[in-house]
Amino acid sequence: MKKHLIIFGTLLILSMAMIPAGFQTTLDATTPIATLLFDLGEPKPEHLIENPSAEEILRGEEIVKLGRTMAPDGSQSSYVSKYYTCTSCHNVVREDPDLTVVDQDARLDYAMTNNIAYLQGSTFWGMVNRETWYNDDYVLKYGDLVRKAEKSLEESVHLCATVCAQGRPLEDWEMQSVLAYFWSLQMKIGDLNLSDSEKKQLAGTTLTDAEKIALIKSEYLQKSPATFVDPPDNKRKGYPYEGDPKLGKGIYELGCQHCHRPEGESDVVFDNSNLTYKWLKRHIPDNSELSIYEIIRKGTYAEYGHKEYMPHYTQEKMSDQQLEHLRAFIEHPEDAN
Amino acid sequence: MYKHLIMRPILLIAILLLTTTAYSQTEYAYETFDDTRIVNGHSVETNMEGVLTFIISHRFGTLNLGAYEVWGLDNATMRMGLDYGITGNLMVGIGRSTFEKTADGYLKYRLLAQSSGDRTVPVTLTLLGTTALKTLRRFDGIDLTLQQKLSYTSQVLISRKFSPRFSAQIMPTYLHRNLVEDDEQNDIFSLGFAGQYQLSKNWSLSMEYYATPGSDLPDGSGPSPEYSQSMALGVQIDTKGHVFQLHFGNSRGMIEKFFVAETSGKWQDGDIHFGFNITRDFTVKGRRVR
Repeated sequence: MKKHLIIFGTLLILSMAMIPAGFQTTLDATTPIATLLFDLGEPKPEHLIENPSAEEILRGEEIVKLGRTMAPDGSQSSYVSKYYTCTSCHNVVREDPDLTVVDQDARLDYAMTNNIAYLQGSTFWGMVNRETWYNDDYVLKYGDLVRKAEKSLEESVHLCATVCAQGRPLEDWEMQSVLAYFWSLQMKIGDLNLSDSEKKQLAGTTLTDAEKIALIKSEYLQKSPATFVDPPDNKRKGYPYEGDPKLGKGIYELGCQHCHRPEGESDVVFDNSNLTYKWLKRHIPDNSELSIYEIIRKGTYAEYGHKEYMPHYTQEKMSDQQLEHLRAFIEHPEDAN
Repeated sequence: MYKHLIMRPILLIAILLLTTTAYSQTEYAYETFDDTRIVNGHSVETNMEGVLTFIISHRFGTLNLGAYEVWGLDNATMRMGLDYGITGNLMVGIGRSTFEKTADGYLKYRLLAQSSGDRTVPVTLTLLGTTALKTLRRFDGIDLTLQQKLSYTSQVLISRKFSPRFSAQIMPTYLHRNLVEDDEQNDIFSLGFAGQYQLSKNWSLSMEYYATPGSDLPDGSGPSPEYSQSMALGVQIDTKGHVFQLHFGNSRGMIEKFFVAETSGKWQDGDIHFGFNITRDFTVKGRRVR
C-alpha cells in the first residue's frame, strides 16, 4: 500500500510539473484572442455567441455577402436591403498589416498586394474583438443614433442595416447568425505581431492576469478611430501633397470601382475609359457631390426613396495624401502604367 | 424541407461565384446604350433585376406647323409606361399611348451579352416580342373584335459596342397587324438600324432608322395616307436614375406598329416631330449580387 502511494505521489508530482500553468496550454497561434482574454478574467461582451453552429455561421455569411439566406424554417428570407449588402462597404478579411496603428499607406499597400477592396467601412475581420463601434466623429453624421451603436455591436449592425443600407431591422435569428459569422472572423493569437519576449511574458508567471490582458490589448486597436475632415479650401489646388498615379490607380480600382462597377451598387459606372476620367477631372473643382473631394470627404446621406448613399472616407480610411494619389491618377491615368 | 435542400446549394454557389468573380477573365460590355429605348424603338438593354422604370414620352406636332402651333408644341401625343426587370436579362413592360388610344405590352430577353476574354461574344443579342391593342372607336360605328384590334411585333436586336463612345445596333423586325386597310400589308418585314455616340460621360447622340420596304407601305393612292420610313435623331442626358432623351423624327407613334409601318411624316417636307422620353428608375426589390 505504502509503495503504491509513493508511486502514485511521484506520478502526480511529475504530471503537475509537466502541465504549464493556467492558459499556457492553449497559447498557440490558433487560439482565439477572446478565449484567452476570458480565461484571464476579461468580462464577456454582450455580443458574444458561445459555440455557434456551422449552420448559424453560414446563414450569417450569406446575409452579410448576399443580403439574404435560408431561414431556420427552410424558407427564403427577404433581402435585408434592396440596395446594398454588408460587403458593399465592409471587407471580411484582415486589412492592416500592423493592428496597433492607423496607417493608411500600409493599408493601401496591403490591399493592393492582396487584392482587397479599399473601403470606407471597417472590416468585419476582428470586429467582435473591438469594444466600441461608430466611433469619434460618426456622431456628427448620425447624431444620437450613434449613442447606442457605439457601445453595442448589435446596435451597430442595426444602424447599418436600417439607416445606411436603407433596409429593414434584422430578425433575432438573423442577428444571431450575423454575430455568429462575425465570431468566426475573430482575431487569433497568431494574428498579433507578438515578439518572443511578449510571448514568454504571456506564457510565464511574471505578469498578473490584468497585465496580460493589457499586453494582449496593446497588440490591436479596440476601436476604429474616425476623424471627419473637410475637402480642401481650394479644390483646384487640392491638398498640399504630390500624388502618385500608381497608388491612385489602386484606390480607383479597389475603392471606387468596388461600387461604381457595371451593375454595381451605384448607377454611376466608373470604367477605365477617358470619358470617365475626363468627367471626373472636370468636376474636381465643383462644390457638389460630383467632385471627388466633396463626395469622398462628405459622402451622401441616405434618404427615403433612395438617394444613392455613399459613406464618406474618414481620414483614417483615406488620407489627404491618398486623395491626391487618386486625383493624380484621374488626371494622368497614363502615368499609372 | 426540400426547398431548403435546393436553395442552400444555390446560395453557396452564389457565394462561390461572388468570391471567384475577381479571378474571372471575361469582361462584359455594359451600357451599350444609355437606355432601354433608343428613340422610339428598343435597344438591347434590359432593366436590372428588381428595377421598375416609369417612362413618359411625348411626341409633338410637326415643326412645319409654324409659330401659331408653336412648331407643334400645341399638339402632343403621349405614352406612359412601366418597365420591370424580372431578372437581369428578362424584362416586361406595359404602356398606354394617347395615339389611337393604344395599349401595349412586351416581353424582352437578353440572350447573349457581348464579352471579351475567356468567353468572347462579339455582340449582344436581345429578343423582343410586343403586342398592341388599338382601342380607338371607329367613326363608322363598326365594333371591332378583340382580335381585330391586335397587332404583334417580333424583333431580334443585335448590337455591338465598338468603343466606349460608339455603339451600333441592327433590328430585324417582323410586324403583323390583324386588321389593315386594303392597301396595307398584314405582315411587314423591316430592318432597323441604330447608333449611339457618346459625347461625354452623360451626354450622347443617337439615331434610329427603320428600312421598311417601300412596297409594303401605302403610297397614298388608296384609303391609307402615304407612309414613309421612320428616321429619328436625338440627344440623351443620363443622370443618376434618370435618362432624358430629346429627339426629332418623322414618326408620331411610340410603339413598333406605328413607327415601322405607319409613319406619315416626311423629313424632306418638314414633317418632323419634336419629342422626348423621360425615365425614372425605382428599386422595388433586392437583387442577386453580381
